[in-house]
Amino acid sequence: MQRAASICEVLKNMEIIERKWFRSLNIGRFTEQIPFSPIKTIGISILIALVFIAIAAPYIAPHDPEKTGIPYQSPSTDHFLGTNDLGQDIFSELLYASRTSLVVGFLAAIISIVIGVSVGLMAGYYRGWVGELLMGMTDVFLLIPGLPLMIILAAYLSPSMWNIIPVIGLLWWCSTARVVHSRVLQVREMQFIESTRALGYSDSYILHKHVLANTKEVIYAKFSLAVASAMLAEASLSFLGLGDPLNISWGEMIHFAFTRGGFANDMWWWYLPPGLMICITVLAFVLITMESRKESRLVELI
Amino acid sequence: MKKPGSRTAYILGKLARYCIAISLILTINFFLPRMMPGDPVINLLGEDARNANHFDKNVIAELHKYYGLDKPLHIQYINYLFSIKDNNLGYSIHKKLSVAELIGESFYWTLALLLPSTILGALMALIFGSISGFRQGQLGDISLSIIFVLIFTCPCFLFAILTISIFGFRLGWFPLSGFSSGPSSGLNPLFDIIWHLTLPVIVLSLANAAYIFFIVRNMIAQTMSEYFIFVAKSKGISERAIIFNHVLRNVMPPFISIIALELGFMVSGALIVEIVFSLNGMGTLIYDAMITRDFPVIQGVFLIVTIFVLAANFFADLLYGIADPRIGDAASSINM
Repeated sequence: MQRAASICEVLKNMEIIERKWFRSLNIGRFTEQIPFSPIKTIGISILIALVFIAIAAPYIAPHDPEKTGIPYQSPSTDHFLGTNDLGQDIFSELLYASRTSLVVGFLAAIISIVIGVSVGLMAGYYRGWVGELLMGMTDVFLLIPGLPLMIILAAYLSPSMWNIIPVIGLLWWCSTARVVHSRVLQVREMQFIESTRALGYSDSYILHKHVLANTKEVIYAKFSLAVASAMLAEASLSFLGLGDPLNISWGEMIHFAFTRGGFANDMWWWYLPPGLMICITVLAFVLITMESRKESRLVELI
Repeated sequence: MKKPGSRTAYILGKLARYCIAISLILTINFFLPRMMPGDPVINLLGEDARNANHFDKNVIAELHKYYGLDKPLHIQYINYLFSIKDNNLGYSIHKKLSVAELIGESFYWTLALLLPSTILGALMALIFGSISGFRQGQLGDISLSIIFVLIFTCPCFLFAILTISIFGFRLGWFPLSGFSSGPSSGLNPLFDIIWHLTLPVIVLSLANAAYIFFIVRNMIAQTMSEYFIFVAKSKGISERAIIFNHVLRNVMPPFISIIALELGFMVSGALIVEIVFSLNGMGTLIYDAMITRDFPVIQGVFLIVTIFVLAANFFADLLYGIADPRIGDAASSINM
């Protein structure tokens, strides 16, 4: 998510591009119908399937993921993906792990979006010293590399899902703030905002009814990418052994496969499926944000 | 438009942000162990000490005194800053070595992985991003985009595990771990290290390229749709001259600043790749420290890595401020 900053830098430095932006904005995007896009549909279908798996895990799973048995079994009809070092069924574990991964991703993304959008909105709408201060703060946070800071925070806190969620959420709001900020700066220059203000409406009314409504599209796309990033961050932290031992996630499954001999013994059915699940989920969230238009705007959002 | 001294203002503004960032990092590093519930000394000694509970009260008090924990917080903070200045990062509990020494050893290995990957990743992103940007919507662009989206969605560690199991384990082309096969193998040491670093560098640079690729692609596509390109085309300037003299020249300065910003991300990736390939760098150091709960080492690595990233970014910002003639305008537009 750090790269949104870079892109904003780029955009800021390229005045010409900015002028083009204004031109495209005045068309009045919010009246435009969202065009049907096959890429988006694929993303949404994958996501629905994943959420279904997560909710229905107890009914689909052939075994109890906690129940131990014969360890290190190869895939068979009874255990689709074999068993791990404790003899637990990997396939059932995989289904249950989707719950942790999705919940962490969603909640962390919600935290980061709420902070990012508030900071971006405030900074963009009030400008002046408030904006300076807020965006300066964002810049400072953006400079600090994310993973090392997350590692040190997670290492000191007890390894629990409910500690990992705020750690990821509190550190990854900066790029959202930058994107929302630059968008709000454009929206607030529009004619109708000025007219509304001339009519005597309050700042909070304009912020809610008009500025936020016109920033909606960016926020949705940003949220989707924030879930993807949060899931990748969670996977990295869990892979490093900082995950919740009671709620196994996909990243943690790979961690166990890596540290308990799955990787050394070439048991690909242990570490590959959770990895693929992470890829598919992240891909689904990225696909949702892709636009069918020629100039893909994926860039400025990542 | 251009205010006198706006470039100085730009650099000073940047400098202020870096100073705040560094003091924030130092403060987090100072307060985190002290804010944790329980006695910091017992936390420092680890889980075993807490469970065993055989520590004499006097010993604990002595340790408090040794670490200066009996003094008020602000004095502790000042002492802490002075100790950082003297390059004293504390002692590793498990390895019984000074943290500065441990980091000094592994830092160069991390750099040996980081530098080639950054350069290679940036080159790949520039080349493929340009191809994709110039041929937008065509087959080459679509296939390159699909490949890089797939790399983007793949977590770094999984990518590393897959390459190591395919090229190292199954095909046996590359060694499985470490920086060298040892002096007994009879290989030329330099060649040996390069051979060991090939896979990690490829993994890290591809992961990095996947991020920058899309930025380069869109920057080029956006520049291509500008009026001055249209004018250049209508003047009859050759395609080649437009690409190199007009488009790439405009893309280069922001591209360089993006690479600097990516460095923080690269370092995170390098830490993870090191762990998978068992390279003795900062990543392995922090990983081992996490398993043994060796907090001074975790804190030291965090501090050094962050300061390194900040320093590199600041250097890039300085270069950018000197290189780009428009920087004065950009600074004033930020202040608006």
